[in-house]
Amino acid sequence: MKRRVLLLALAGVTMMSFGAYAQDGGADPDTTMYPRIDKLDEVVVTAFGISREKKTVGYAVQEVGGGEVTKAKADNFMASLSGKVAGVNVTQSGTMGGSANVVIRGYKSLTGNNQALFVVDGIPISNQIANTSNQNTGRGGYDYGNAAMDINPEDIESVSVLKGAAATALYGSRAANGVILITTKKGAKRKGLGVTVNYGMRQGTIDPTTFVNYQKEFGAGYGPYYGPDTINGYYTAARAQAYDVNGDGVDDIAIPMGEDASFGLAFDPNLDVYTWESIFPELDSYGQSFKHAAPDTDASDFYQASSTVNKSVAIDGGSDVSAFRLSATQFETNGIVPGSSLQRNNITFNGSLQASDRLKVSATANYIQQNARGRFGTGYDSRNINQAFRQWWNVGVDVNKLEQYYYENPGTNITWNPYGYGAANPTKPHYFDNPYWSTMENYSSDSRDRIIGSVTAEYKINDWLNFMARGTMDSYSDIQEERIAVYSTDVANYTRRNRQFSETNVDFILSGTKWFGADNEFSFSGNLGSNFRRTAYDYIGASTNGGLVVPGVYALSNSASTPNAPSESRYEIGVNGFFGRASLGYKNFLFAEFTGRQDVSSTLPVENNTFFYPSATLSLVFSELVDLPGMSYGKLRANVAEVGASAPAQALADAYIMGTAFGSQALASAPSTSNNAGLRPEMTNSTEFGLEMMFLENRYGFDISLYDQTSSDQIMPTKVSSASGTIYKYVNAGVINNRGIEISLNASPIRTENFGWDINLNWTKNENRVMELYEGLENLQLASVQGGITIEARAPETDADGNTTYYSFGTIYGVAGVYDDAGRRVVYDHPRGGVRYLRGDKEVIGDINPDWMAGLNNSFRFGRFTASALLDMRMGGNFFSLDTYYGMGTGIYDVTAGQNDLGNSVRDVVVGNPVDGYDASSGGVRIDNVTYMDANGDYHEGVSAYGNMWYYANYMGWATAPKDLHVYDASYLKLREVSLSYAIPAEWISQYGLKGASVALQGRNLAILWKNAPYTDPEAGLSAGNIQGYQSGAYPAVREVGFNVKLNF
Amino acid sequence: MKKYLIAAGAALVIASCDLPDNGNTKAPETVPAGTLVANATVSMVDYMQSINVNLNNFVLWSQHLTQTTYTDESNFDYNNRDVNGNTFDRMYATVLRDLSEARGIIANDATLSDATRAQQNATIEVLECYAYATLVDIFGDVPYSEAIGDDLTPAYDGAAAIYADLISRLDAAAGTLSGDNGLGSADLIYGGDGDAWAKFAASTMLKLGVRLSEADATAGSAAIAAAYAHGVMSSSADNATLAYTSNPPHTNPLWDDLVQSGRTDFIAANTLGDVMNANSDPRRGAYFKNLDSTGAVTGAPYGLQSDYYSFSQPGSALEVASRPSSLMDWSEVQFLLAHAAQNGESVGGTAQAYYEGGITTSIEDWGGSAADAATYISGSTVAWDATNWRALLGEQKWVALYTRGNEAWATARMYDLTMNVAAGANRVTPNRMGYGIDEYSLNGTNCEAAGANYNGDDDTARIFWDVN
Repeated sequence: MKRRVLLLALAGVTMMSFGAYAQDGGADPDTTMYPRIDKLDEVVVTAFGISREKKTVGYAVQEVGGGEVTKAKADNFMASLSGKVAGVNVTQSGTMGGSANVVIRGYKSLTGNNQALFVVDGIPISNQIANTSNQNTGRGGYDYGNAAMDINPEDIESVSVLKGAAATALYGSRAANGVILITTKKGAKRKGLGVTVNYGMRQGTIDPTTFVNYQKEFGAGYGPYYGPDTINGYYTAARAQAYDVNGDGVDDIAIPMGEDASFGLAFDPNLDVYTWESIFPELDSYGQSFKHAAPDTDASDFYQASSTVNKSVAIDGGSDVSAFRLSATQFETNGIVPGSSLQRNNITFNGSLQASDRLKVSATANYIQQNARGRFGTGYDSRNINQAFRQWWNVGVDVNKLEQYYYENPGTNITWNPYGYGAANPTKPHYFDNPYWSTMENYSSDSRDRIIGSVTAEYKINDWLNFMARGTMDSYSDIQEERIAVYSTDVANYTRRNRQFSETNVDFILSGTKWFGADNEFSFSGNLGSNFRRTAYDYIGASTNGGLVVPGVYALSNSASTPNAPSESRYEIGVNGFFGRASLGYKNFLFAEFTGRQDVSSTLPVENNTFFYPSATLSLVFSELVDLPGMSYGKLRANVAEVGASAPAQALADAYIMGTAFGSQALASAPSTSNNAGLRPEMTNSTEFGLEMMFLENRYGFDISLYDQTSSDQIMPTKVSSASGTIYKYVNAGVINNRGIEISLNASPIRTENFGWDINLNWTKNENRVMELYEGLENLQLASVQGGITIEARAPETDADGNTTYYSFGTIYGVAGVYDDAGRRVVYDHPRGGVRYLRGDKEVIGDINPDWMAGLNNSFRFGRFTASALLDMRMGGNFFSLDTYYGMGTGIYDVTAGQNDLGNSVRDVVVGNPVDGYDASSGGVRIDNVTYMDANGDYHEGVSAYGNMWYYANYMGWATAPKDLHVYDASYLKLREVSLSYAIPAEWISQYGLKGASVALQGRNLAILWKNAPYTDPEAGLSAGNIQGYQSGAYPAVREVGFNVKLNF
Repeated sequence: MKKYLIAAGAALVIASCDLPDNGNTKAPETVPAGTLVANATVSMVDYMQSINVNLNNFVLWSQHLTQTTYTDESNFDYNNRDVNGNTFDRMYATVLRDLSEARGIIANDATLSDATRAQQNATIEVLECYAYATLVDIFGDVPYSEAIGDDLTPAYDGAAAIYADLISRLDAAAGTLSGDNGLGSADLIYGGDGDAWAKFAASTMLKLGVRLSEADATAGSAAIAAAYAHGVMSSSADNATLAYTSNPPHTNPLWDDLVQSGRTDFIAANTLGDVMNANSDPRRGAYFKNLDSTGAVTGAPYGLQSDYYSFSQPGSALEVASRPSSLMDWSEVQFLLAHAAQNGESVGGTAQAYYEGGITTSIEDWGGSAADAATYISGSTVAWDATNWRALLGEQKWVALYTRGNEAWATARMYDLTMNVAAGANRVTPNRMGYGIDEYSLNGTNCEAAGANYNGDDDTARIFWDVN
């Protein structure tokens, strides 16, 4: 396809992008990368949908074609941006329909929203992440995704990313985090109707390199304290319980099935033991013993193949005066977790009518309906099966048996983890449910109905002046329901949350363009506009209390005890903005632009609620002035900008929190966050320089941006000493700086009629520094997460020599190990044999931010085939794994078993120490190159030692290990997308009425080519938002392969 | 053309409509003071009664119970779960803050008579003093004079100075309280009975006086005498008790952690079990279940991971959701009076009589009979012996304070009871709790200055009344 510019008016400025792009109805509607239009005339979409010649723009704008977004589809189209745009950091949480964290040029707000703003055809759309704070901090819950993922990738014509403050200045405060502008496909003038049918399907399987490698030698238990050393003459070293199961008067060996760890009795295929399968009267195996052996399959067998089907039909047409497009898309996926499914239906219409010579009216409407059931439980919660699989597990359990027993015994929670023999209630689940019970019975469901629409009138006042009026709205209601069935480990529960959201915007924009001077060498273009935004949000959530009366009935009225009052919140936000833009051009090479915007916000105190912010940009197309050999295009750009931002709703005055009544007595409490009636707007200042050059007829080119952006006077609830009577207080404080470099390289080494090779490389380095916090505060806690870890923004520290250390937003903070001067870990005696790591003070032990990111795309075109492969790389950054923190302590990972170099089981007791030497019979895991602190406190540097590994309080697990042992490098190199498509020759298909057809094979997340973090996908997280760098019950990565057929009639 | 410009300009202006209200329509800006007092009361009793590992570890520290598998808290690791920080948050940001808010509302409530206002303020005063005394007994120096206010980094006050001020405040409150305090059903402890509050105030003053007397005999004696003169509790009817409901979340916290959680974390510690067995304690069957065939408690080695089913477990009396919980009771007051009498204070009875009364009341509270109590008291290891009074009184009070971790731990410290060395930590129970990480990062200068009074915030350092 060629991108055709329809309304390229006058000096490079045209109002709106409606109808600005169209397909030419050819056979290959998917491609956008190939024949580039002349760089000088290239048009980009900028703020408020204003299409402009790229040469006139003094800030970084990067575009991604719609074809790129659908080349290897993801559930969430935002994930398809990963690696394709410099400066954009996309992180996917890894659950079905889960959220994607989209941060442009680094984290700018200490406690507020850092997500990019999404604007579709001029409509700002909600990207709310409707997850609970418990979910965000790993305390359990579901990742319900982010609202912008409702956008149907099939409808996307192009994506334009506005990165810096200058680019987004016209959008005002809410766009401080950058804007992702989406232009949808439109109808165009054509003969008859165009019909496009698209069918795609793909399947996914887990990537085994991102899941646990289990040890296969030892069964359930925490250590040697369950009973006598021998049972019936068999030596158990007290790792099994003695219980007369069969009533013959002789104690039998009972596995401590109520334990969720694997430091128990060694597997021995000759040994008869009683397990969880022996204890349930419902089972045929009731009362029977089993050989004590590792199962044939491990917990990874729980995951099934995912399947996704995507169907769409689009009809478009147009005449001289009108154009329309109507599309319907059905998306359906079943995730890797049994019982999970998500369906989304999109119906989109857009149309325009040139009502008269001067008046053009257009309208868009997008109806989205989404349903999901069985979303993946996340975090430290029994509804996340990975809490068991990765942290608390008995490796002797066969998940296939769990599946069989679940389906054969409806309504019965036959778990691998019942209390066990001797308990008052032997078959009751102790810590964990059967994972099939967790996912099939304790399931969530949610749905969202949403309408996004706009009406626009454009009036051509005269030959240089246009006026536009536009109204947009985004409105949805959603419901989330969560269930815990009776007979589960947790108290049975039903929770529902209902939300109603709407945003309306009314824009009036006057635009003018004029040439001046003798030879029209001066150009002017400008806008004067206003934007009135109203957001309304209404929420009610309620839960049952104390259990459910009737199993299986999920209604608030089925609550065992009186339910607590529902929690409600409602707010409205209004911003009135007035803005202007003036762009002055000289000849074809020098362009200067100034913008200003004034906002009046409802969420700030009246005396501080009006604020103004300006920007200035400069663009110099120096290739018009100098002629360098081979250079076909060269442009320098520079800009400075300031953007203000207002407060969240209801942050000014305190209100009491009404609690659940105590009997009949009402309770009220002061809020834990104190508001502040004196808040001021926060400000972001940015400077940016850029250089774009193209060579050899635009076959080679690069685009470099350097930026420096400082956000200050941030509005945030800062944690204060609770002795003051409040835990958080809203203040204006804090300064964050982001500075970085973005490089895009494009090359087309081969460009012939039948063969083409294009290379696109994006490279980003962002340095984030917290410059200042509230009144000398040392740190701002972003989250306190399980494992004694906090995610923090820490203030700079200046040492005695005056050297200042800056920390980035999102340091991982916790108890570190102690190291000697050579960087070796210090070990010391474990009181029960072997060594453990010496723990030191709490300090910074990790940073969530990558050092740099890169995406490399290679595309090949040979005849009717096109092929491409995207490599996506992240270098640096860390995460803390609660999974190995607990899992090493429960002895489920492979490294906690096996033999050491002395030929003994690592699970044997360690005999000896590095100074006196080790006995030939010594167990333990050998640790090389450590410094041993002996009982006298003397250090022995660079020795080898054996770490204690015979019970849960071993040297690697939570009980003794310094936290930094479980901080991992988040780097990766992923083969993110691969596609191969073939455009079927028209002569083969025209007899069927087809104008074009193409087939494609697509692969997504096919391989992690390189990573340092074992057992997991370093990209996995809990949810989009400010709390990153933490894994708890992470889901394995999914490799997806599929095909796509597209037919044009 | 001009008209278009005018039209466009007009449109820009017309649309500048009013901004929406930023107020919160779903939460009140003022509430009846009683709802805040009630919330502070529930919050504080919840905290005192809780055995949740994140909130209150003192039933472990007093070595009544120990943990089965996850033994970190039995081994005095309170930083990992930020127990110290959670204690600050609970006591300051909820209990004391809500009491302070209530005081503000009462001051501005024109419908109250001055007399009622004084009664309500004095009631709040008692709860505040109890809360601050609890904090001092845990940490030593804590924020007091600058706490709960505009100062976001309140200074720490000396523990002894706080005690002195609390005693004088309780003295005034006990003198003021009488009749109806007007709080009615919002007074979840005494239902508005100011006379009962006066006894609670005097009894709390007595408790502080007895502790103070360890460090300062003269001041302690004065406080004890004044407290007794006000009139302390004189029967179990005077207990400062919250009657929990069986409707979550307002259930007894013991039930939350022993029953509702479905966990098997807590078992009898050998420290308490051995003492009860040696004394043939009639309360064993009420305190614990899964006794051995002789009716003895099988206590697990303190701090060592142990199998739940192999040891005695908290008794079924603790597994009742609506089990009432007391901030202070008649048994405890009798032990305090015994101590005072032994020190020569004139408190209406002999040390022996109060000692035996304290034991008897406790046994009866746990379902035993007067005969059980009489037998127990006559036992050779229990019978009163004035030459060994500290050991006897300390041990019996410590046993009687089962499920009341804060007081049991304070008793073990004050009477220097022999505690076991925790198996994992290889040390005995700390003498105080160190300050939380949040105080260091949010109120560092003040916190470090206070920590310096305890040998660098060392948890083996002693609070002023813990002289040995």
